[in-house]
Amino acid sequence: MRQLRHPGANPEVQSWHLHKREEVMGTVVTLDAYGEGAKPPREVHVRAARARAVLQRADAVFSTWKEHSPLNQLRRGEITADQAPPEVREVLQACERAKFISDGYFDPWALPGGVDPTGYVKGWAAQRAAEMLYGPGVGGAVVNAAGDIATCGSPAPGRPFRLGVADPSDRRRIACVVETSGAIATSGTSERGNHLVNPKSGQWEARAASASVTGPDLGLADALATALAVAGEEGLAFVEVTPAYEGFVIGYDGSWHATPGFPFHPLGNPSGRTHHQPAEAKHEN
Amino acid sequence: MDYNYGVLSVSATVQGTKLTNVTIASIDDGGNFRSESIDQQAVPVLEQEALQAQSANIQGVSGASYTSAGFEDSLQSALTQLGFR
Repeated sequence: MRQLRHPGANPEVQSWHLHKREEVMGTVVTLDAYGEGAKPPREVHVRAARARAVLQRADAVFSTWKEHSPLNQLRRGEITADQAPPEVREVLQACERAKFISDGYFDPWALPGGVDPTGYVKGWAAQRAAEMLYGPGVGGAVVNAAGDIATCGSPAPGRPFRLGVADPSDRRRIACVVETSGAIATSGTSERGNHLVNPKSGQWEARAASASVTGPDLGLADALATALAVAGEEGLAFVEVTPAYEGFVIGYDGSWHATPGFPFHPLGNPSGRTHHQPAEAKHEN
Repeated sequence: MDYNYGVLSVSATVQGTKLTNVTIASIDDGGNFRSESIDQQAVPVLEQEALQAQSANIQGVSGASYTSAGFEDSLQSALTQLGFR
């Protein structure tokens, strides 16, 4: 655990920043809490521990890499959904909803090896961890699970969370900055190569280099970002009709397309773009 | 972890603060093994970008998934580390 102190906007008001890293789900998840005062109240450390436990529990239940996880037992037919932990049914129901919302471009049942809700679980777990971390005495909390980010509150009074979106052609660079009071998920063909299947064709293909979705719940944002990466610019239509969710797509040719409400922020724009391009004319479904 | 597809391994030599001789071994979508070298990449570039991000006062970077090993090289990691200076 590390604790930082740095002056807030008002030099007479101290603020604290609690930071943790958790190796879980095959990646590193960072947890950050912000608040006013000389140091975090004691219960924040307890909530941080619980937030990390939320992540570990999700990994234990849903990991496709853990041979005896309940999800793998379900995939192998060793147990039924009723026999699995209740969060398995909760997640699968949410995945049904996400599949419907995304016109089937997010489809955990279309993947080889049996149902695989990984594209939803990471966001779902990080969202619950952020909500666990956020509470009395905490002004803002953010959980970043390998690029899928859930936020609650704000890092300082009156200042919303600002998050960068990585440039898919050079992930050491930022393509744009987003200002959000909710979550952002980004999917695409990146470090792991193309691991995205198009459920409609059964092929490993994605029509966008990077797709980002913002919205109140990181689980759904995660699923929609996965769907959007596969569908490409066309997928902005199903994001746009989903209340409170916005999408942004970077094409392989570097082109940008976004839903009109995508929360771009003008700061931190190393690529030199001064404004986003609004989504093209909507496709009739 | 196994990947059926994609990057198998990344190897690099660290000289001072620079990464040199970066080689990526991967399987392409035809199932063929490939090995390619990347030009020298200087870690200070990473820090520069992270500094720029820090001046924009951002609290995180959203990007397509990375593994534990990839985290160390990521912008998010650089942001995290810079927070402790």
